[in-house]
Amino acid sequence: MAQFILRRLFFLIPVLIGILFVTFALARLIPGDPCAAMLGERYTPEKCVNFRIIYGLDDPLPVQFLRYLAQVFQGNLGNSIRTGRSVTDIISERLPMTVELTIGAMLFATSVGVLFGIISAVRHNTSIDAATMIGANIGVSMPVFWIGLMLAYVFALVLRDTPFFIPPSGRLTAGLSMTPLLQEWNLQDANGLVAFVVGLISNSVILHSLISGKLHILKDGLWHLILPSLAVGTIPLAIIARLTRSSLLDVLHQDYIRTARAKGLPSRWVLFRHALRSALVPIVTIIGLQIGSLLSGAVLTETVFALPGIGTQLVTAIEGRDYPIVQGFTIVVAVVFASVNILVDLSYAYLDPRIRVQ
Amino acid sequence: MTATAERIPTSALASAPALSQRSPLSDTLRKLRRHRSFQIGFVLLSLLVLIAIFADVIAPFDPIRPLSGVKRRDTPCIHLLGCPPSQPEHLMGIDGNNRDLFSRVIHGSRLSLQIGFTTTLFALIIGSLLGAIAGYAGGWSDNIIMRVMDVVLAFPSLLLAIAIVSVLGPGLINALLAIGIVSIPIYARLFRASVLAVKGQEYVTAARAVGGSGMRLLFRHILPNALTPIVVQGTLGIATAILEAAALSFLGLGAEVPKPEWGLMLGEERNSVFNAPHLVFFPGVAIMLTVLSFNLLGDGLRDALDPRLRIA
Amino acid sequence: MHRTILSLLVVLLIALAACGTPSTPSAPTSAATTQPSAPTAAATSAATRAATTAATTAATSAATSAPTGNLMKVAAPDCNYGDKDNPAGIKSIEATDKYTVVFTLCHQNPTFAQAVAFVTNSIQEKAILDQTKGDSAELSKKPNGTGPWMLKEWAHGDHITFEANPNYWGTKPKVKTVILRWSKEAAQRLLELQSGTIDGMTNIAVDDIANVQKDAKLKVFPRNPLTIVYLGMNNTKKPFDNEKVRQAIAMAVDRKRIVDNFYPAGSLVAEQFAPPAITPGHNASKWYNYDVAAAKKMLADAGFPNGFDVELSYREVTRVYLPSPGKVAQDLQAQLKDIGINVKLTPVESSAFIQSVRAGERTMFLLGWGADYPDATNFYDTHFSAAIKQFGTVYSDLAQEISAGGSIFDPVERQKHYDKVNDLIKQHAPVVPLAHGTSADAFKATVQGAHASPIENEKFVVMDPGKAQLVYMQNAEPGTLWCADEEDGETFRACLQIYEGLLTFKVGSVDVEPALAESFKSSTDGMTWTFNLRKGVKFFSGHELDANDVVASYESQWNAKSPNHTGEKLGYTYFGSFFGACLNGPKC
Repeated sequence: MAQFILRRLFFLIPVLIGILFVTFALARLIPGDPCAAMLGERYTPEKCVNFRIIYGLDDPLPVQFLRYLAQVFQGNLGNSIRTGRSVTDIISERLPMTVELTIGAMLFATSVGVLFGIISAVRHNTSIDAATMIGANIGVSMPVFWIGLMLAYVFALVLRDTPFFIPPSGRLTAGLSMTPLLQEWNLQDANGLVAFVVGLISNSVILHSLISGKLHILKDGLWHLILPSLAVGTIPLAIIARLTRSSLLDVLHQDYIRTARAKGLPSRWVLFRHALRSALVPIVTIIGLQIGSLLSGAVLTETVFALPGIGTQLVTAIEGRDYPIVQGFTIVVAVVFASVNILVDLSYAYLDPRIRVQ
Repeated sequence: MTATAERIPTSALASAPALSQRSPLSDTLRKLRRHRSFQIGFVLLSLLVLIAIFADVIAPFDPIRPLSGVKRRDTPCIHLLGCPPSQPEHLMGIDGNNRDLFSRVIHGSRLSLQIGFTTTLFALIIGSLLGAIAGYAGGWSDNIIMRVMDVVLAFPSLLLAIAIVSVLGPGLINALLAIGIVSIPIYARLFRASVLAVKGQEYVTAARAVGGSGMRLLFRHILPNALTPIVVQGTLGIATAILEAAALSFLGLGAEVPKPEWGLMLGEERNSVFNAPHLVFFPGVAIMLTVLSFNLLGDGLRDALDPRLRIA
Repeated sequence: MHRTILSLLVVLLIALAACGTPSTPSAPTSAATTQPSAPTAAATSAATRAATTAATTAATSAATSAPTGNLMKVAAPDCNYGDKDNPAGIKSIEATDKYTVVFTLCHQNPTFAQAVAFVTNSIQEKAILDQTKGDSAELSKKPNGTGPWMLKEWAHGDHITFEANPNYWGTKPKVKTVILRWSKEAAQRLLELQSGTIDGMTNIAVDDIANVQKDAKLKVFPRNPLTIVYLGMNNTKKPFDNEKVRQAIAMAVDRKRIVDNFYPAGSLVAEQFAPPAITPGHNASKWYNYDVAAAKKMLADAGFPNGFDVELSYREVTRVYLPSPGKVAQDLQAQLKDIGINVKLTPVESSAFIQSVRAGERTMFLLGWGADYPDATNFYDTHFSAAIKQFGTVYSDLAQEISAGGSIFDPVERQKHYDKVNDLIKQHAPVVPLAHGTSADAFKATVQGAHASPIENEKFVVMDPGKAQLVYMQNAEPGTLWCADEEDGETFRACLQIYEGLLTFKVGSVDVEPALAESFKSSTDGMTWTFNLRKGVKFFSGHELDANDVVASYESQWNAKSPNHTGEKLGYTYFGSFFGACLNGPKC
């Protein structure tokens, strides 16, 4: 097993360099430059001469790439061109939001998806089955931004003066705030990894409010997370529902289940004791696989809900050609994505020893 | 080799050849006929194809030229629902550029179907080729191809598509190319897995031993075996491609105005959700129905062809 | 196989290398010398002070009690330090006593007062400037200003919290806290306003305005239009090298239809390039009448009886001057079809679009402009002066008149030049001015003092929502919180709550009024401006505002050799457009 893990990690290295290369190339090949993006209508070529020299934008691209590579391997992702702030700082501000949203969506998609799948499998080939599956398929077929706006409209406006009102955007109700943990723990001078990790915790509304025991903020934070989680989770929900159904059907037709039924065990017992248990293996796997698409869903949905995550910043940075942010953020997303994939592979290997042998 | 890089359980695929026993085609057809999702998907898709073919006949107005004498963003006027017969009928209302929305939505079906089929075909051919090479040749070429595929898969597909279109410049063709590129790896992996699965079987080893050529092996043994997962994935892939093309057009990176592309129509009216909902509602529903039909078909095919196939 | 792929990679790398153009390093040159500034030359400053106090005898005894003792003066040796495109504008800036600053100019500058009121020319404490080297990222960490609002918290990506400055010298803020939020989508902002979670928002979507006006709980505040959107044509590209073709298009566009369909109420059909609020500049002349038959004939005369094919490029970016670019482009396409011109629409990504337009690469394009400050120079000079290539070869008669109109002070004389400018634009038709678009903000009806400024200088200090906090939602997050080297309106709006200049724009207006300067006057020839500072104004740091802070703030932008001239790498673009060349620059 250890050898297997090592081999997987070893193969990650070329992939990581590939990611760096692709990210860099894409960022630079996009026409337009950060200077023009910042100036907008006021752009004239003369205004940008100095700017391009300072940022080395006129150097040959391979030179720029090697310079960037050297920087990254020193753990330095550079500073934002637009604001001059360190990209690492910005990541520690933005990543927690996206992760919280991804987890929220995951919980929603899994719980409802598995439930739908079970219902559909138990009532196999009935109208309920067809309706659930068509419902699930409708879920996969809707554009995400569309779901987002519709949800916001219903819960924020139509239900405005009812207890079901849910805020349409933002992370916390205006006016609520918490002291950054770096300040609270007197760590202002910390830098490097400590500052980054504490920053991550501090910027996660859920963790931070739990640590400092501010339950009203926790509640508010969760409340603001509902609509975006529903929007992001709908598509994975449908996928999970479909898979739960098919793997449960698979199991239900196997001999030992038939035997259990033949023995006269109550069918609900059979379902939960035996069938669901073995059906869970592929379900768990697919949930792992969905984290990736959840992540990109989160990135796209943040804009609709004006949430301070990776996605909103990435969109702004792409529009502004803020290369260090675009590169840094894409790398973070890709690394998280690739790590999840590896974890999934590992879980395969763990669940199915045959794969290791190959 | 590193079959472990698969996101698709190879074990599931490995057992695929054992599936077909007696008259597989009629068996499959029988299963499909009984499958409710498939039925609904099939009916929907047939309708859509008919609409696309006869769009010129069905659409009452030109989808491109602005009409004169209509009120911009006017709500639907349907005679059956009480709209006075003196006014011309506009089933879905008028869009932001004084055009009949219904005509645009109808013509949009052509574009969407074309988008779905071309991108998927493109990705399928290139992906299968790469997968076949990787699986058949093995060794270094396998490694390089699959590592490149890993890099592509390391990015969330829509984000990568956005980046590629940004590089190539906005436009429908470029958007299609981008979506095609990002969906190559999934076919490459599928095909490679099938090749590997067959490669290990005794009868193939035997065929090789008696001097069967590579081409012959490919067409006689590997292709038929790979077809099942590829067809299923392809059908679902069309759905994804249509959705992604709509997203790109929504972001202004896909189809050019004044093309009647649904995603573009949504994007142009993104701020009308609350003040002229019909402008956002109808194109959205059109996208949903089209994508739905392919998803239902794919579901049915999967169930009928191989219940053990667990590709999401 | 792998060899093929490797060689492909190598080819890719070579291609990439070829794409990168070789760098042309040229260190910023120092053309002129500067009068040494305060830290290095206390002696000269002291001498200057002695001379000044002697000259102005009784009036300002305060100078003698100046605790620091040395008063700053920054001066150019002469007025030749600029170049053709960036002429020298300022001769010297001098603190003549603790509360008096005198600006001496190189030529008359009709926009001087507006420039001084602009948020990029806010005053920062000298010690803080020296400490941060004028770096906007550093200055944003703990902003130190004199304004009504202090930064309490900047939750990056989410919101900025301001708290009232208890020591503010002017009218006290009405609420304790102001929270600034942002969202790109107009529908989203309106939804927040309607659901009651915010009190005010910028820019309602055009098609929402009518609905919001009907809502008794909300109130709409339209802006006086200070924008222009135009159809540009490049005279180096065929067939636009033919003046008649340009004129034909000028007649073929139904501008009224575009304004009626795609602009909110309050927007105007453009008759000239500068909007009516720009005087001197705008006059009574009218654009060509919309006349398809005449346009067709003109086109036939020009040798195109059957029209021609042409590409119209634009960017899909919502601006006040162009709220729905794609729709206007499609309408233009349909209109030009009527005179036989087949238009191919090409949306181009925003910054690439601007770059190619400015480089003179676009044949026909849809673009616009929103005023930074309400003066004719901000419209004409930025588009038709000798340095601008976007319409192809410069129309020299036009450029000449514009240059003449921008370097004199007398409004009547200026108008004479601009009358000619308007006639020449109509004759040459490098552009078809389409519309002066307006935008509108919306507030809850209960917010007292709600307003929208024509140049988007909304001031929270006069707003009172009737509760402890005001929540305001704009389009985007500010970039930094020090604006000398900034460019965008969203950042400016945040800065102008914290910082103040010598002058400021009146609430909801483009007229200037004193701010940190209690009073100011210009000499009769407009070449010398004297500002008397308000006494007892404290920065958040506790330091009391004095004349050196003013000189230091201006010097950090004006003097390219100043250690505080680091700023953002883009330089001080606004300073350049207000005052011309930088000392030791020549660009800012």
